[in-house]
Amino acid sequence: MEVVSNLNRSSDAQGNSLSATALIWQDVLAQAVTGEMIAVLNYSSLAQICEDPAEVADALEHAEGERGHARAFTAEGKKLGIDVPNNVEAKYWKRIRAAFLRQIEARDFIACLIIQEVMLESFAVASYKRVGEVASGTLGKTFAAIAAEEEDHIGHAMSILKAERSLDPQLFDEKVHAMHLEVMTTLAEMLAREDKDGHCELCHGSCVKASLPQVGLTSSELRGVSLQHYLRTLDLLGLPGEVTLKWVTKLPV
Amino acid sequence: MALDFALIAHQESWKAASDVLGVLRGPELGPIPQEDLKEIFPWIPPRAVCHIDHASVLGHSAHGVYIDSFIPPDRLGYEYRRENIERVRAAAVVAMNAGARIVSLGGFSSILIEGDASHLPQTGETVFTTGNTLTVSLIVQGIKKMCVLRNRDISEATLLIVGATGDVGSGCARCLAPLVNRVILNARAIDRLRSLASELSAGGTAVDVAVDLQLLSVAADIVICVASLDSPTLLLGRLGRDAIICDAGYPKNLSPVGALEGCTVFFGGLGQSLGGMTFEPDVHRVLHRHPFPNVAQGCMLEGMVLALEGRFEPFSQGRGFITTERVKEIEVIAARHGIRLAPLYNGQCSLERA
Repeated sequence: MEVVSNLNRSSDAQGNSLSATALIWQDVLAQAVTGEMIAVLNYSSLAQICEDPAEVADALEHAEGERGHARAFTAEGKKLGIDVPNNVEAKYWKRIRAAFLRQIEARDFIACLIIQEVMLESFAVASYKRVGEVASGTLGKTFAAIAAEEEDHIGHAMSILKAERSLDPQLFDEKVHAMHLEVMTTLAEMLAREDKDGHCELCHGSCVKASLPQVGLTSSELRGVSLQHYLRTLDLLGLPGEVTLKWVTKLPV
Repeated sequence: MALDFALIAHQESWKAASDVLGVLRGPELGPIPQEDLKEIFPWIPPRAVCHIDHASVLGHSAHGVYIDSFIPPDRLGYEYRRENIERVRAAAVVAMNAGARIVSLGGFSSILIEGDASHLPQTGETVFTTGNTLTVSLIVQGIKKMCVLRNRDISEATLLIVGATGDVGSGCARCLAPLVNRVILNARAIDRLRSLASELSAGGTAVDVAVDLQLLSVAADIVICVASLDSPTLLLGRLGRDAIICDAGYPKNLSPVGALEGCTVFFGGLGQSLGGMTFEPDVHRVLHRHPFPNVAQGCMLEGMVLALEGRFEPFSQGRGFITTERVKEIEVIAARHGIRLAPLYNGQCSLERA
């Protein structure tokens, strides 16, 4: 694993020429920033369908929090001498956003929480934690700190979702399954060994996945930790493990 | 809904893991490509894979779940012991949260914790049994039956037990020592070997111990392999003519072809339920690859038998406590509910016609 301080030195020493690992981090950060910007949009949309003023304030506060995360990741890019792009229109993220907006249109607050807090945050928390473990310097610290913050606010959503499930477990589980088919299918395609549909529209060049080992990461590990976190979150909500196992085995690989 | 029982196990090979997940995926999607399977499988937290209904011949049934610990089949070695114990503990929590009244630990799971329930989470209402007593019973029954089928006088036989100091190995030794001419105990721990040998010798049996199979000069007529051997060839030169070999390890690797040609190898420790078992989703044929219906490992069956009997107690616990009396007791309970020795089989064909 190359440490970030070395990247900085390399960048400083060579002016505008960036090391290969800096370009890998650029792609990793692009996914993170775009994910955070999708969360900003999702929470802002969610605020529009909340009836309780406290929930509106909560959603807007989360949106601001996610915007802060995006800024923090962008700032980490600057330290490496890179501009971190974000593209909420990139094909996978666009599909995820569209799935969320369908639930906004249906004014289904619970479905929105399931998508954002259970699915997208599972992916974010698990992968940020992993990046936080391998990236040194402030980059690693930033990823680890944001993972902890994301995990923190999931707690509130989980209590809402648990209460909802207790009212009608079957109906709730069916709703989670419907969201799973839309959102987790897209996330699984995004995390698959290779992009079968072509370029993800975020990486600066060819797909970054094959290069991840150069910075101490692997795409298989990121897929693994994300699915594991997702299954554990569903366990915490009380969904039967044998049911969620079946769902996950059917995801695209 | 509370469950009568839960079974904790793992897959013995990547093929088995692929087949189990293949059933869950359904025929329309086909199996997960091997490369992806190996990447995804280790990350799956322990969880139920299927529900099981086990009917007693007395007319009632017990309901339970099969919980996979998702230990990757290529990480069964000692170096992964710590992480595998964590997986077994997590699987035990799944069983407890599901409200299982009794939990059978599969062979490898019980080896990992060496039958010591203190490795398991605080159990509340749930009790744990290793399942080893019924396994011993079925191995012993299999040896006796095979001797009859092969027209062997068991009282003339020299019995070699590979993995003799383990819970199953020592249980088999206690049950069979009074019946054979001579016993050879093989295991790595010499102190435990000597202790077991002196216990058996006190009963009047001629007993030898061997830490290294390669140094063994006595030819065995009957062999029970409780520990999976690195290679069947380790037995070469240590077998009598037409030896009977019970492969009771998991995974089973003493194929009847090749190195052990001339010997009769059979899979030991398997039982058959006459009342029947229903698996939903139907992974039974994947979990228990046997040509006869309703066959399962003894360690799994023990939890189901005790649930059918309404005896929610840690029947088998610890290491080295299996006695002939306890083996007889579980055998009687199992028989009452229609569980008997499975037809003898060697991975290729039935051995019952001989």
